[in-house]
Amino acid sequence: MEEQVELVGRAFVDHFYHLFDNDRSSLSSLYQPTSMLTFEGQKIQGVDEISTKLNQLPFDQCQHVISTIDSQPSSFTGGIMVFVSGSLQLAGEEHSLRFSQMFHLIPTPQGSYFVQNDIFRLNYG
Amino acid sequence: MDPDAVAKAFVEHYYTTFDANRAGLANLYQESSMLTFEGQKIQGSQNIVAKLTSLPFQQCQHSITTVDCQPSGPAGGMLVFVSGNLQLAGEQHALKFSQMFHLMPTPQGSFYVLNDIFRLNYA
Repeated sequence: MEEQVELVGRAFVDHFYHLFDNDRSSLSSLYQPTSMLTFEGQKIQGVDEISTKLNQLPFDQCQHVISTIDSQPSSFTGGIMVFVSGSLQLAGEEHSLRFSQMFHLIPTPQGSYFVQNDIFRLNYG
Repeated sequence: MDPDAVAKAFVEHYYTTFDANRAGLANLYQESSMLTFEGQKIQGSQNIVAKLTSLPFQQCQHSITTVDCQPSGPAGGMLVFVSGNLQLAGEQHALKFSQMFHLMPTPQGSFYVLNDIFRLNYA
């Protein structure tokens, strides 16, 4: 039976990329003022800035297809590390892009998780 | 010290040690350390080093393409996200990989690896 952290990791990944591909502006609900995103080397902090960056990416439609999800507990305060690899298909593009992404999830008082750390990199062939 | 500089120094030290003397990685892990290597989960310095020294190749060389780092929280931890190539002796083509480390400070002013996740990136 899958461990608790694996279940949380998988559920989070499903939710994150579903939002990304269908309702990108709603991703802001997953970040807090202390959240940090490094997107292809560019460092961004805070809900508004992260939301702006993601909403301004130069494509309207995309679909993430996830190949691997690895999760581990991050420390003694309930945090979870999630490491993802997969493909990103942009509408109108012939070939999909491969990517890796890591998330550090921190529990909220309401029993959910928010993204404290997010690092995204394309994997060039 | 600047976090980016610390991350870069750690990455250089880690892969230089891996490529020259894999058993020397033991002092970068502790009992609480966790490695997930291509989906296989291993815990504790001894078990992790046993896994790494038993990988099915003698010689290898890592060449690093990208290093990204972020502070992980109030405990002084640091997340390091690496991508690069792994050339195995005798193989024509290098393998591409991604790896993340969660480093925690030690009382001696150094860092150890609490979390380590490694994945090959297949084309």
